[in-house]
Amino acid sequence: MGYNSGENMILEEILKNRAGFEEKLRKLIGRPVLLIELDMFALPCGCSGITANMRGLEFDDLEVFEPQILPLVKEMAENLGVKPTVTFARLVPGSSIVASLNWRTLCPRCYPEFARGAGKMPRPDLYMLVFERRK
Amino acid sequence: MKLFVPSPGHIDSLMELLTQKEKIYSIFMAGSPDYIGTGRSNLASPQLEDIKEQTEFAHKNGVKMELVLNSSCMGGRQLMPEGYRTNHWYVEKLVDIGIDSIVVADPYLVETISRDFDVDVVVSVLAFVDSPQKAEFFEDLGAKSIVIDSNVNRHFDVLHAIKDSVDCELKLLVNEGCLYRCPFRYAHFNFFSHAFGPEPRPNVLDDYYYLKCLELRIENPELIIKSPWIRPEDIKLYRDITDVYKIGGRTHFVDWILNCVNAYYNESYDGNLMDILDCPKDLKDLYNIPNKSLDGILEKQWTNCKKVCNKCGYCRTLTKKVTQVYSNGGTQRQMCVPWDTIAVKT
Repeated sequence: MGYNSGENMILEEILKNRAGFEEKLRKLIGRPVLLIELDMFALPCGCSGITANMRGLEFDDLEVFEPQILPLVKEMAENLGVKPTVTFARLVPGSSIVASLNWRTLCPRCYPEFARGAGKMPRPDLYMLVFERRK
Repeated sequence: MKLFVPSPGHIDSLMELLTQKEKIYSIFMAGSPDYIGTGRSNLASPQLEDIKEQTEFAHKNGVKMELVLNSSCMGGRQLMPEGYRTNHWYVEKLVDIGIDSIVVADPYLVETISRDFDVDVVVSVLAFVDSPQKAEFFEDLGAKSIVIDSNVNRHFDVLHAIKDSVDCELKLLVNEGCLYRCPFRYAHFNFFSHAFGPEPRPNVLDDYYYLKCLELRIENPELIIKSPWIRPEDIKLYRDITDVYKIGGRTHFVDWILNCVNAYYNESYDGNLMDILDCPKDLKDLYNIPNKSLDGILEKQWTNCKKVCNKCGYCRTLTKKVTQVYSNGGTQRQMCVPWDTIAVKT
């Protein structure tokens, strides 16, 4: 079992945060949503961050509980030492299903793609939670 | 009891599965997606030489080999001269290899394969045989065996009517955890048939049907209880219908498959029901439904169930009683809590 290792602090933190985030979302939404996989990633372009693949989370949940969810996503980023430029939800195209939550530290090449879009949905499948615009 | 057991599709899996060959009547696996494809996802695409090697190995161990070509949609390709020739050529090769049976969903393939080849044709669960009339139709086309639509697994009147109507073998798919009367069923299997069939294959990032299905069951685990799975302990209630059972799960690890084989072979499983259900893989880390807590329910309640849920409420009450949710999963604080302590009361 992962939680018995006691040797790898990074993995223990990820395990702890996966469970903690899931518990807090469940209490908030009143449904046993599942954080099926929590990943830290690095892309060839230079972007990096965290992805939380979700099951049972819906677009309505984000809209209704956004003020309560925002502190949770900020806490997750801090706990895992990530300073995201953008935090967003990715929706299954054309549906109300939230496929994942994403914390992304954007590289210089990808930043304009997000910065150019206006509003909460710069693309039909993306719902912006937080965007730190460059000064 | 004849158990049909899934293989992920490569020789290493098969060798591992057949360490318990005395419990297995037949292995089934998908073939190459380049010809007919299948209505479910696959992990491998064994070519003819792989299939030959695996068939010989199975036969050497006294186990039969079944190939699943149960695409529910071929886009009409099967009716075109080129498609007909290609499919015919492929089936001919499989028969030459010594495959014991071929599972198909399309009536046209049932008729042509049973007419033109010396091989047992099995009607797939994806042909949705849920009445004696459909069963008779497929038997008349030449089917040697029919996997009954799992939606009627708990409709004993229909099962008995089918049994009384045909002489061919009947099989029950025991561990499919799909939604009862699933509204996504046709669209999802058609999607799979293209995604795991010949080119061009759709390049889809998110499987809407799967994710929506999970979402519904996360919102309401009663839908899991109502799924038409058959518990290992309840096999005995089906003996007067058939003794042939199919275990679903060709995208799982061999260890998972063998756990199911042992459960059904021994007709007992002392663990989480979710461990042995094929379909909602992701939900086994969410729900704990102790299998033994469902002892006697089929006999007592579901054999006579009228399926008018809003007037009954039995499954709703049962769900609250037996369903637990894993809380703080993957940490030292992991525990199971009753589902209704998390869910908002409705």
